[in-house]
This record gives sequence, C-alpha cells and structure tokens, in this order.
Amino acid sequence: MIDEKEFIKQLLNPQTQNTAFQKLLSDYQRPLYSHIRNIVLSHDDADDVLQNTFVKVFQHLKNFKGESKLFSWMYRIATNEALTFLSQKAKLSGISSEDLQNKTIDNLKADIYFDGDEIQIKLQKAIVTLPEKQQLVFKMKYFEELKYEEISEILGTSVGALKASYHHAVKKIELYVTSN
Amino acid sequence: MKAFKLENEPKIKSGFKTPENYFDDFSEKVLIQLNEKEVKVIPFYKRKKILSLAAAAMIGFALMIPVVNNYRADSNELDEATLETYLSHSNISQYDLIQNLDDSDIEKLGNNVTLENETLEDILATSPNIEHLITEQN
Repeated sequence: MIDEKEFIKQLLNPQTQNTAFQKLLSDYQRPLYSHIRNIVLSHDDADDVLQNTFVKVFQHLKNFKGESKLFSWMYRIATNEALTFLSQKAKLSGISSEDLQNKTIDNLKADIYFDGDEIQIKLQKAIVTLPEKQQLVFKMKYFEELKYEEISEILGTSVGALKASYHHAVKKIELYVTSN
Repeated sequence: MKAFKLENEPKIKSGFKTPENYFDDFSEKVLIQLNEKEVKVIPFYKRKKILSLAAAAMIGFALMIPVVNNYRADSNELDEATLETYLSHSNISQYDLIQNLDDSDIEKLGNNVTLENETLEDILATSPNIEHLITEQN
C-alpha cells in the first residue's frame, strides 16, 4: 500500500499525475458517491455533483499542500459541492432547502434508484427536520459509519461537539418517528 | 405508543441504489470532462504572449509608416532651405527667374506668406543694400 506522502507527490508531479489521479478516482468514487447521495438524495443530482467534485479536486491539486489528509480534503470538497448544489437548486425552484428535500423524499417511493420501505422514508423525513449541520453529522455517523475523528477533520468541528450533535439528532429523530 | 429507539432497531440502510454498471463508466466520464475543459481554456500565459506579439507588431508597423513615406518620397525636388541657399549664392538675375515661372507659380507667389512686421524690420535694419531692396520693389 502506497504511502500517502508519496501518493501526493505523484499527484503533484505532471509526469505521474494522470495515473495517480485515475487511482484517486477509482479509490474514492464509491464512498464519495454515498456521501453526496446522502445529502442530495437523487441519483442524477449525486452523479452531477460527484463529477463536479472530481473535476474540482483535479483543478485544485496544485493548491493542495498536504496539511490535511487527502481523504478529508476530498470529503470537504464533496460536502461543499453537495450543499452548494442543494441551495442553488432550492433558489432556482423558489423554495426553501427543507421544502426541496421534503419534495424529493415524497418522490422517493417512485424513484427507481430507491429500494427502501416506510421506515426508511420516515427516517429521511425525520432527518430533514434537523438543522443542516446536525443532518450531516447524523448521516456521516449513522449511514456512512465514519469515525468521529474522521468527521472532525472533514467538518472542522471538535469530536466532543460532534458527539453532542449526534446525540441531539438521534433524540429528535426518535421523537419524530414515534409521533408520526 | 412504543417509543422508537434507534439503537434498538436493526441498522436502517439509506435505501439508495445506483444504476447497474454506473461505476464502470464513471472514471471515463470525468476524464473526458477534464480533457474538454483543458481544450476550451487558453492558459493566461499563452494569451498574454499572443497579446504581446500583437502589440509589438502594431508598434513595429506604426514605426514603419514614416520610414516608408520617406522612402516613397522620390521627388527630385530640392527642399526649400537648399534652394534658398543656392539662389542666394548664385548669379541668376531675378529677370531670369521670372522667365522660368509659369502661371500657376505666379499665382502661388501671390499667396505667399506675408512677412511679419518684426521680420521685415530685421531685414531692413540688417541689410546693407537697403537701396537695392527699394529699387527691386519698384
């Protein structure tokens, strides 16, 4: 397994950049797709955002100084792209981000790229009631099963704050599902 | 009503699926996009080079204009200063000069630059042959 420092060198060297970037694509497309899909909900939107993410990653490689891990740097770009996409889509539709997400969830049953049942739809609806940051923390912890330390590096929030945020998110979701 | 407890439930998956073979083509899609972006955008340093060359060419062309004009000025005529010097040192009489003038030359003489009073006074004051000038006037 290649050392991260060495891999970053290959990514920054024009001679080896293309091969290294293709490896990056191969290693990260699935986890980043899941991460993005959890935020934007629809497959087509996730596809667009994922492509934009990798294009941005490639364009900003020269600015990457290795201060953070590649993993957290890429997840950060993916998160920002997904959140920006959502807010732009909401703006274009003339509705709030929350209303847009609710609308998308209502259509999930008819979505061919969703094979969940009632409880999954209810869970998604419960998540939408949370503040944006709490939604992120919950999805990254519960669905993606990332470690708190990893989430901390990506979101720039302390582990302690993340644990508190997750705890609050779970309580609200449980209350929503119980009452609905 | 039984309270819903997340930790008591089996893990609930997101329920999201991808189209079949989606990830097989994904890398290629991104690489194609990157190639297209590379072709469309002219790097700034190249644009700057093109602009610099264009500017240099225009300056060069502008500088050439007077040079070309001078080269093309193939007139065999003497300039005024040279002609004046020649005439002042020559023995040609005014009568001979006048004989060689045609109608258009005489017309041009009529439109000659008028001397400013100051210039006229200078000439009269410094000329040793003031009588000659008065005689010529007549």
